Amino acid sequence: MSLATVVETKELIQTVIFALVAGIGVTAIFSVGIWGAARFVDLSQEDRRAAALAAGVAAAVALLVVMAAIVVGVIVMTSK
Amino acid sequence: MSSDVILVLVIGTALAFDFTNGFHDTANVVATSISTGAARPQVAIAAASLLNFAGAFISISVAATVASDVVDAGAITPTIVFAGLIGAIAWNLVTWYFGLPSSSSHALIGGVVGSAVAAEGFQVVIAEGLLGKVLIPAVVAPLLAFLVAGASIGLSYRIVGRQRPGIVSRGFKYGQVLSGGLLALAHGTNDAQKTMGVITLALIANGSLGAGANPPVWVIASSAAAIALGTYSGGWRIIKTTGTRIIKMDAAQGFTSQGAGAAVILASTHFGFPLSTTHVINGGVMGAGAAKRLSAVRWGVAGNIVFAWVLTLPAAAAIGALTYAITSIFGSGAVGPVVVTVLSLGAIGGAFARRARTGAPVPVQSG
Repeated sequence: MSLATVVETKELIQTVIFALVAGIGVTAIFSVGIWGAARFVDLSQEDRRAAALAAGVAAAVALLVVMAAIVVGVIVMTSK
Repeated sequence: MSSDVILVLVIGTALAFDFTNGFHDTANVVATSISTGAARPQVAIAAASLLNFAGAFISISVAATVASDVVDAGAITPTIVFAGLIGAIAWNLVTWYFGLPSSSSHALIGGVVGSAVAAEGFQVVIAEGLLGKVLIPAVVAPLLAFLVAGASIGLSYRIVGRQRPGIVSRGFKYGQVLSGGLLALAHGTNDAQKTMGVITLALIANGSLGAGANPPVWVIASSAAAIALGTYSGGWRIIKTTGTRIIKMDAAQGFTSQGAGAAVILASTHFGFPLSTTHVINGGVMGAGAAKRLSAVRWGVAGNIVFAWVLTLPAAAAIGALTYAITSIFGSGAVGPVVVTVLSLGAIGGAFARRARTGAPVPVQSG
């Protein structure tokens, strides 16, 4: 019995890839959302409405993507 | 009749273990939210316990692994499962007493393997399953959480670094409501299934279920309820260790460590790896701290956690084996398990009474 036959390599690699993509990806996108919200507040105070709107939209889209990613993640997990 | 008495004891003990699992692991789920001020303790714990309950219904892959891939179900008796459970509960209580976030999952698997070996010899252990589905993921998962949390926090700081700290901190605290909730769901999914797996194993051993059967609905529901109640009861001693003694966290670190933990646990659950949620979240916490500044991690406390981690499988296995030996003194009937149950309840009651009298928590060594 070699180590290679014991380790469920495919499942383990898929676990690593999913965790890296989901963990780092969701955090990065959420950070973009916070960046957008912070810029929205600052730019609004500077009365730069178009730029503020763009930052606000970036924040909203980022948060929606985060929510969607979480829902998809849970659905994928329950599919087995 | 005798085997039914043992089965009832096994199910009661398994649910008690599930309760201690939730009790013991509350810290893993809520400590970061509490320590960063993202949620008030009672609210965080109540939400975690509800999500633990919901999470237990999501998947049965881990239960299948525990029931069929670790020990040969055909050679197992309800008394072996009972002795393994006592080993796991005893080790959980010892580590709770000393404030160490050790792994309930490894305690359970160690306990069952130890009692099975004591009863039937090493041939009953499915080495491929134990190594490939438990031991290797046990090493990979915390390292993966460390890596994910470290990379995430580095990226996060780059993205929001120049923004006003107040808004950023508030944003990540809101995010922690989400990441903490997801972590609680993941915890319920992976950890409650281990109890389901053990009860299913006992039902198969008793002939109440066929080999390879899935956990019945009443097993899933009762396991979910037990872990949720345990989580609600909380483990304040360990919350303190995880939440403040490994590193002092900001909200971004709390968010990334919880997010990393949830991602690793959910991915592992999907493939049926019964890993330790304790180790995963602690790996995430250390990764989030080390990425900011290596000295931010209190490596002495982290070392104690690793020490408890290494010790868990053999210690729980030894207690499980000892428990099986004690039950065997009274023959193969229900007398042994009944005597051990009475002794265990007495010991647990004594430990709680002593803790209530002495009051202050036992300090965790740091250095």
